[in-house]
Amino acid sequence: MLAERAVQPQHKMDMRTSTKALQILVADDHDIIRRGLKQLLTSRPGWEVCAEAKTGREAVKLAEQLKPDVVVMDISMPELNGLEASRQIHKLLPKAGILILTLHFSDQLVRDIVEVGARAYIMKSDADRDLVSAVEALANRRTFFTARAADMLLNGFSRPVVGAQPQAISRNRITPREREIVQLLAEGKSSKEVAVALGISVKTAETHRANIMKKLELHSVSELVRYAVKNQIIEA
Amino acid sequence: MHRVLIVDDHAFIRRGVQAILQSFPEWEVCGEADNGTDAIRLTETLKPEAIIMDISMPGLNGIETTREIRKKHPEVKIVLLTLHETAELVRSAFRAGAQGYLLKVDAEQELVRALNIVIADGSYISPKIDGEVAKSVVTEVTEFKPVHKN
Repeated sequence: MLAERAVQPQHKMDMRTSTKALQILVADDHDIIRRGLKQLLTSRPGWEVCAEAKTGREAVKLAEQLKPDVVVMDISMPELNGLEASRQIHKLLPKAGILILTLHFSDQLVRDIVEVGARAYIMKSDADRDLVSAVEALANRRTFFTARAADMLLNGFSRPVVGAQPQAISRNRITPREREIVQLLAEGKSSKEVAVALGISVKTAETHRANIMKKLELHSVSELVRYAVKNQIIEA
Repeated sequence: MHRVLIVDDHAFIRRGVQAILQSFPEWEVCGEADNGTDAIRLTETLKPEAIIMDISMPGLNGIETTREIRKKHPEVKIVLLTLHETAELVRSAFRAGAQGYLLKVDAEQELVRALNIVIADGSYISPKIDGEVAKSVVTEVTEFKPVHKN
């Protein structure tokens, strides 16, 4: 599937010049936000919202099925957050442009966004002004970062930030798969529910859970929830 | 036909609210504001019957704006639209004079229901808010009602 996609002609430099409409997947857990985003996006001729997702997991599934050109993604979503969903979509569809749309700004978030493979980041407060420009940039294989993030990327991305270091280390102690499981457990799911959500056996889910608790030196679910909130895997 | 003013600092939320209301001809959007100060000014000039308003906005927030508007226009019905589910915020909203508390997560299904209830002089609290909290807030407001009336 991926190889076939690579030779399709619409993946030239400027997708707007091809006859096929730009296919956009919108992922946000709020219906009203998806409605608003859809209105803003489809007001542009040649842009189509091909699907909408309410969770990160749905977004990954739909992206795999529909192979959109651009994915507009919220971060805080149930089951699988937007960062982990972006990481998986980027792996499946390296050519898709991923735009992260969020209420929050932090230096760590900018690092995470770049790390998972997203190429655009805008704030919800600037969506009116920046959304169309950001999607346009992605359609043309360029990047688009909200002004504060662009400053941060230029000034200090390669330099280690003193305060952020310990957190960065603790985040890297667990794998992306384990982070996915942390989110599900922190949302109150049992090992059995985790197993169903991820299509793995209960035993594997339990092993993952034990490994996570050991690696992170956590002793209870409430400690795990605290870890998930502190590391922005879920929202408080 | 009822005239409604939409107040939210996020344009895509205003668009979303408009899109929902489009399929209900009994509701007409008479204006939009992206901050509390403009909302107060537009209430004066446009005289909406109802206002759908975000709580977190830069400058005057939705609760402060509600208080200001209700001081001058006790007849205007206000539904606050928010991401937050805390009991304290629900209480502040109703004490400031709002009649409706709608969560953004329910907006698609509940927006018109909330508007219809407040326009008929009722109180609306999102079903996701704890029932006990909702009951105590509504009771408190109903007891206060004579004070608010003219």
